[in-house]
Amino acid sequence: MAHEIFMPKLSSTMQVGTLLQWFKNEGDPVEIGEPIFEIMTDKINIEVEAYEEGILLKKYFHADDQVPVNQIIGYIGEPGEVVPDESPGIASDESTDDASKEESSSTEATVEVVDNVTSEGNLENEKVRATPAARRVARENGVNLALVQGRGPNGRVHEQDVLDYLKGNHVKATPLAKKLAQAEGVDLSTVKGTGVGGKVVKDDVVSVLQPATPAVSTDVKPEAKRVKLQGMRKVIADRMVQSKNTAPHVTLTTEVDMSKVKELRASLLPIIEKQTGYRVSFTEIIVKAVGQTLTRHKKVNASLIGDEIVYNEEVNVGLAVAVEDGLLVPVLNNVDKKGLASLTTEAKEISKLAREMKLKPNQMQGSTFTVSNLGMYAIDGFTPVINQPEVAILGVGRIQDKPVVDNGTIVIRPMMTLSLSFDHRAIDGAPAAEFLTELKRVLENPYELLV
Amino acid sequence: MSKTYDVVIIGGGPGGYVAALQASRLGKKTALVEADFLGGTCLNRGCIPSKTLLKHAEVIESIEQAKEWGIETGEVSFSLEKMMKRKNDVISRLRNGIAFLMKQGKIDVLEGLGSLVTPNQVKIVNSNREEIVQANSIIIATGSTPLVPPIPGLDTVSYHTSDTIFDIKEIPESITIVGGGVIGVEFATIFSSLNTKVTMVEMADRLVPSEDPDASKLLEKLLKKKGVKILTSTKVERFEKSAMKNLVHCTDQNNKPVTIESDELLISIGRKPNLSALGNVELKMNGRFIEVNDRLETSVKNIYAIGDVIGGYQLAHVASAEGIVAANNIAGEVDKIDYKVVPRCIYTLPEIASVGLTEKEAKEKGYQVKTEKFDHVGSGKALALGETSGFSKIVYDAEYGEILGVTMVGPHVTEMISEGSAFIFLEGTIEEMAKMIHPHPTVSETLYEAAHNAFMKGKK
Repeated sequence: MAHEIFMPKLSSTMQVGTLLQWFKNEGDPVEIGEPIFEIMTDKINIEVEAYEEGILLKKYFHADDQVPVNQIIGYIGEPGEVVPDESPGIASDESTDDASKEESSSTEATVEVVDNVTSEGNLENEKVRATPAARRVARENGVNLALVQGRGPNGRVHEQDVLDYLKGNHVKATPLAKKLAQAEGVDLSTVKGTGVGGKVVKDDVVSVLQPATPAVSTDVKPEAKRVKLQGMRKVIADRMVQSKNTAPHVTLTTEVDMSKVKELRASLLPIIEKQTGYRVSFTEIIVKAVGQTLTRHKKVNASLIGDEIVYNEEVNVGLAVAVEDGLLVPVLNNVDKKGLASLTTEAKEISKLAREMKLKPNQMQGSTFTVSNLGMYAIDGFTPVINQPEVAILGVGRIQDKPVVDNGTIVIRPMMTLSLSFDHRAIDGAPAAEFLTELKRVLENPYELLV
Repeated sequence: MSKTYDVVIIGGGPGGYVAALQASRLGKKTALVEADFLGGTCLNRGCIPSKTLLKHAEVIESIEQAKEWGIETGEVSFSLEKMMKRKNDVISRLRNGIAFLMKQGKIDVLEGLGSLVTPNQVKIVNSNREEIVQANSIIIATGSTPLVPPIPGLDTVSYHTSDTIFDIKEIPESITIVGGGVIGVEFATIFSSLNTKVTMVEMADRLVPSEDPDASKLLEKLLKKKGVKILTSTKVERFEKSAMKNLVHCTDQNNKPVTIESDELLISIGRKPNLSALGNVELKMNGRFIEVNDRLETSVKNIYAIGDVIGGYQLAHVASAEGIVAANNIAGEVDKIDYKVVPRCIYTLPEIASVGLTEKEAKEKGYQVKTEKFDHVGSGKALALGETSGFSKIVYDAEYGEILGVTMVGPHVTEMISEGSAFIFLEGTIEEMAKMIHPHPTVSETLYEAAHNAFMKGKK
């Protein structure tokens, strides 16, 4: 009995998946757990693994084909088994008892994938190639899969890799180097190995213990430190390139007079601090204003998924937070419906979690728009990169006193530059400009936020 | 229009031909220049012929020993002619093997004496013609020749070096070997098995002075048992020809004159680099040898040198390792030579093999040196083989049990030393060696026994 392989439904919003590549050809033997093809959804790329063993009998779709969820993509079975020439369509229950049993087991397997994806689907883990077993062990032990060195094909992380990582075996060192490191209290994971495959040898530990004296000889050039692009950096690198390569970015800028926001903040500060223990910052006020404005500009609060623009109902604002050697985007949900006090509490707590790398996957999902604030630095304006599948991102510069002309006279006002990058595939200049203009107006008359 | 190569290697010994193979594997158009036979000293006048003859010596010794075990063979006779023929057969098979490898690797073997014309031109001269080829990179792998010291009277006597001794036609009745290094003791072993009366003269206070003193002491004892006369701390003053014999006048350790009389003379005091390939190109020297850095680059860009011509260990396997490093660097793969683990083998009976530091070297380097020796008398296998004179000795650092050096004396220890090499190379310690299961009954177990004893002492 040949077993159907179909496009798994990986999220509640998923309608179609793009088949990125096949790892197997027709006639190839397939083992349970082996990746057979890779798909891309609106959120992630994932390798789909075989839950049956046998021969890949049929492939109905090619790379780059868009396949509806549950559409039969191929069959796995015994050599010589006869399967339909064309895809029979959506995998259904109208099959024999035997088949429906298989079907239900396959569905279970698919559900497992869904579980894995939704629960692990944060920025790092969703991009990491890993087996379901590896994901389970990683989840159970709170391991960030991006940090685990995968030894499977294409660097796929296997269960053993996660177990090795947990055991601390992720540092390869010679017995002598281990003894020396233990005796001297050197953390081997901080030592750069020069042995075969990066294995830490005795001399590496010794050089940590006694920093090399500056080379006297001039022909020995100091070697630059080299760090492999991996983990969070790799995820960021991939996503930035993806965004820049697919979305035609246009950045609009405007200057906002922040006098009234300053006043508002000054008067709210003691109230909110008393209520929540947190000091409300400009970020929260800007996020609130953004949320308010987005409710009236659905085009900006959208996602571009496949060849569809999804106009989101919820207004969930991602907040770019710098963490050690990286960047995370925790999400503040339903910003438009929350008051400044609860927004402040939420923003502070979620930023703290981000910096401590303790965010849960669901706290990094579902944003519909992102705010990146560099106002704490001497930055006036910049061109932020869109956090896909969102279609726009707001960059916030510093607030600086500047001479401006007001009613024919020059006055000093606290001015701030807003930079809005938008995906020109999804939005045009005029609606983006309208959004930014309204945001400016809201910030210059912020009392409406309190209404 | 002269031919152009990516790499031209001058010298087809174990350094040169290995470098040629590596360069060709890395996609370089390669030529190998050889004036004589492929395989160099190692194959034609060194390692291989001496090991072939030593096997003969071993068989002869086994037959002798068998008598004591109740295996009688009657009178043993041997034909030097047949032994030499077998030696030559072994050599020619190996030469053909290398020639095949060169062909397979599409390496042009240019017959003739190679020398540098400019830093990227090599002239090849043989009896028929003269040719100049262009080379983007050059590896000098011209090896070494026996060193003959300027001792008075040497020109009046006929003497052998390791280059000529392999072609003797008859077994001499007596031979004096000047130099008690590796080559000297191996020939002493061969000739004493052939019932030649052997006398060895060594200037240092012991044979194979670079090796562990325990090994030297044992070797001296065993050679003496075979009838070899050993004069250490003895200096050769002059040679003299008398009637049918050669006379060697020496001064012994007590400053008293000694004269040795023998039919043949073998000079084996060392080897000097063969610099014939340098031609017009000036390279920076390191004493008598060509100076190189750890990438095997000489002072002139794109000229590399490997093997005996740069001094150092002067071992075939070191030359090969250097050849690979040089070829890698030429191909753009940055590689450095590491001499931390170089096994050294002496094919006497029993064999001596060592790797890493000797006790003395380790102390000089400031380690907290400890040693552990296990005598083969305690090994069941050695007892069964009837070869109980040897030992296994580990030099290690007390602090972490780092294995610094291993010396083994005994049957087939040259095959076993790689265990010591592997431990040092992979930085295993006494503890791991003491925990690793070794097969029983074997002579290799003695290394484990030594490690185990050392480990248990460390725990107390």
